[in-house]
Amino acid sequence: MGRAGTGGTFRKWACRFCGEVYDEELGMPDEGIPPGTRWEEVPDDWFCPQCGAEKSGFELIE
Amino acid sequence: MTISKKLSNTIVDAKAFQKGDAVDEAFASLRRDSPFEVATPDGYDPFWVATRHAEIVEIERQPDVFHAGDRANTVRPAAEVLQTMAMTGGDPNWVHALVALDGDVHKAMRAILFPHVTPKALKTMREGLGDVSRQFVDQMLAKAPECDFATEIAFLYPLRVIMQLLRIPIEDEPFMLSVTQQLFSSEDPELNLTRSEVSAAQQRDVLMRINAEFEAYFDKVTLDRRANPDSSLCSLIANATYQGEYLSRKLLMGYYMIAATAGHDTTANTLSGGMWALAKDPALLPQLQRNPELIDAFIEESIRWTVPVKHFMRSAAVDTELAGRKVSKGDWIMLSFHSAARDEAVYEEPHAFRLDRPMNRQIAFGFGSHVCLGQHLARMEMKLFWEELLPRIKAVSLAGEPERTRSNFVCGPKHVPIRFELA
Repeated sequence: MGRAGTGGTFRKWACRFCGEVYDEELGMPDEGIPPGTRWEEVPDDWFCPQCGAEKSGFELIE
Repeated sequence: MTISKKLSNTIVDAKAFQKGDAVDEAFASLRRDSPFEVATPDGYDPFWVATRHAEIVEIERQPDVFHAGDRANTVRPAAEVLQTMAMTGGDPNWVHALVALDGDVHKAMRAILFPHVTPKALKTMREGLGDVSRQFVDQMLAKAPECDFATEIAFLYPLRVIMQLLRIPIEDEPFMLSVTQQLFSSEDPELNLTRSEVSAAQQRDVLMRINAEFEAYFDKVTLDRRANPDSSLCSLIANATYQGEYLSRKLLMGYYMIAATAGHDTTANTLSGGMWALAKDPALLPQLQRNPELIDAFIEESIRWTVPVKHFMRSAAVDTELAGRKVSKGDWIMLSFHSAARDEAVYEEPHAFRLDRPMNRQIAFGFGSHVCLGQHLARMEMKLFWEELLPRIKAVSLAGEPERTRSNFVCGPKHVPIRFELA
């Protein structure tokens, strides 16, 4: 589990099609998502940078 | 302690994969007693066998540790690998396809087609592909009351889809199908080009001949698409660059090869597997008709149940450890997707076809950076097909015994005889 942020503990989400992990603590700077970005703040039209799955294809893992 | 000679030989035996039971029993035994151990089949270099879902995921999460292209990326006899290396100047793989690339070049090659095969991009193709699926459903229904679903529909529909996306003329589809079958089913006397039992040396000779024809065909395509670029996948490949230059011949041909073969064969196998399940279990059709939202689960279970790609090989790029075992740099490792799809630790009743699996985490299309680039296209093709077909039939059952391809690599149903009634 990630360290506590201002809004609580950071969570991780995994793409169920390829396993790519989105870690709120790290964000995805290469994809324009800064560290600390909550999953809810990730744009709805964002997609998995590894396989292209839509945001809805991710599930909470921790 | 290594895997027994008998089990070692079984897990590379194309005939055992064709029959099914012997391979399932061998892998069940390995998952129970030796889930990550070394196999020593006659005539092959020794290799580790990862049989469980967990270890395969762990390997695929570390592409920098477990390379896809340093050694042969499918399991082949040592003599055959040596001969390939002698003929390619030291490369154990014939072509530099995505499945045999690592690191930056792998990322760069995936990036060429990636934006065009995401679910978002595919939405724009939905209508056009829907027309193709309707056409093949119509063809199937016109054959009522019986057909061989594998040869008459499933082999042909995904082939038509990918050829349309590549913009390859319909009249060349039989050639592309024959290349695919020779590449993936050369041991099967019903599907290989010579339509006969052939030795490994003969298989190789035929493969080289058809590979030369394939390259000559795509040399013309490359020249044409560079002169007349369009929006087709072939044009994107032909005009792609890497480090400021057009793709090398090996990369170019590897890309065409994987698009024109793997781009339809695995979908065809999975569709046939789905139909096999549908025809075998009379409860499935009414369940899906009442609950069309279950079609996604049906597709995921078709992929898991069929497991069209039985394995890929990796090799350790550094000394490492896996499942408590020391793996040395250079060790060869089989990722048995077939076994992972039957892993009792992940799937209750793994041999059963069930729609109620919670979050079906099947990895039959791979996992991690090497996950199948066309997986979302494959799912969309299947969804369009089943959504069109299911409301239009009243009943379906097996009209004979289905048969699988004789192959230890890409292996799915090659005959699914069915009897059906129109709604």
